[in-house]
Amino acid sequence: MTPFDYHRPETLAEAFRIAGEIPGARYVAGGTDVLVRIRSGRERPNALISLGRIDTLARLELGSVTRIGARATIGQVLDHPELTSAYPLLAQAARPFGSTQVRNLATVGGNLCNASPAADMAPVLLALDARVEIEGPQGTREVPLDAFFKGPGQTDLAPREVLTTIVLEPPGPDARSCFLRKSRVGMDIALTSVAAHLQLADDRLTRVRIAAGAVAPCPLRLRAVEDLLEGRTVEPGLLDEAARLAASEIAPITDIRASANYRRRLTRTLVRRAVAAACEESR
Amino acid sequence: MSRECTLDVNGSLTTLQVAPSARLIDVLRDNLGLTGTKEGCGNGECGSCTVLLEGRPVNACLLIALEVEGRAITTIEGLLGPGGKLSPVQQAFVEAGGIQCGFCTPGMIMSATALLEANPAPTDAEIRDALVGNLCRCTGYTQIIESVRAAAVRLGTGDRPEAPR
Repeated sequence: MTPFDYHRPETLAEAFRIAGEIPGARYVAGGTDVLVRIRSGRERPNALISLGRIDTLARLELGSVTRIGARATIGQVLDHPELTSAYPLLAQAARPFGSTQVRNLATVGGNLCNASPAADMAPVLLALDARVEIEGPQGTREVPLDAFFKGPGQTDLAPREVLTTIVLEPPGPDARSCFLRKSRVGMDIALTSVAAHLQLADDRLTRVRIAAGAVAPCPLRLRAVEDLLEGRTVEPGLLDEAARLAASEIAPITDIRASANYRRRLTRTLVRRAVAAACEESR
Repeated sequence: MSRECTLDVNGSLTTLQVAPSARLIDVLRDNLGLTGTKEGCGNGECGSCTVLLEGRPVNACLLIALEVEGRAITTIEGLLGPGGKLSPVQQAFVEAGGIQCGFCTPGMIMSATALLEANPAPTDAEIRDALVGNLCRCTGYTQIIESVRAAAVRLGTGDRPEAPR
């Protein structure tokens, strides 16, 4: 492993200062992606700036809005009963995330900043209409999560900026949801994943959000599917139409894990099943 | 370029000079001589390097030593009771044959120890789930699962040591 220097600032202001002084430094949170990339030589930073001592980044607050500190680990999310009962999608994505060991290190913010098309937390947070707070030397800004991803490994973050908080609206009185994920074995990344979050009252679907992972350069909302389902009553013909439409909204690739064609078929099946399961979910 | 670092390993504090990019696994094995923790893949996939950080299993190959300064770390050596007595989980692995070459064993035992601390009577599915990040390349996992089950019985009958921190 190429040697690097290691900094442990205790405030964001100190982190920004160090990042400004050392060109070639990069931030690190849990390290489960960054250290693997450094070890393989894919990244060669001359210094890491750990966010591990900035305690304001690890807060979890439920209130009029829910605020998840970017440095909260996947394990902390899973171990937070109020959070997972308000947002069952978070638990459904966190439970099969890596291994116990990885969940105790990997952070929610890190999973987003790593910007893998297959990131497990991305589809569920997209379906929950998450916004992200970003802080930099010039101040704080907020962007919708679906504007945060720019490509594989690429985000809206400017140099020196830090993703600090994931903000969620209350789930809604009639909220139903389902996350489905297909991988070959335990610990494997998703071949395809689909998250559905919607309101169901008097048999009608409203505020429909459908998101998919590992089927395009970025995790993405399936907006045509959402528009189709909005205001409708679920019946098999509608689900068939939603599934067909989903396959036309994605741009999967063929890689070592699956062919593009298989991912397209999986997306059709998972969209149909996720919407049906969300509607059948009892609350 | 080295830094002073005080590590809290198995209940004792040690101050030493470490390279800023040294990982916890490097310092445990090379500086502290705690070679029970093994390095397998070095990528957080095989679990051979599993240690407990404040009681929770983590991969020591994915942690920079400076990051865990002052936080309680337990390694396989830290499970031994007075007089070098094996912990109930260690003893169960010996008796149920949960060991073949032994390379994955310390990591398996650390994960199993943390599981049983949180969930004293796990189902087989819960045991398998807790060990999903620990690979064994010698054999099947049957005797390892049996070992954890036997350890749960041992702990349930009062053979309970002090909890690892």
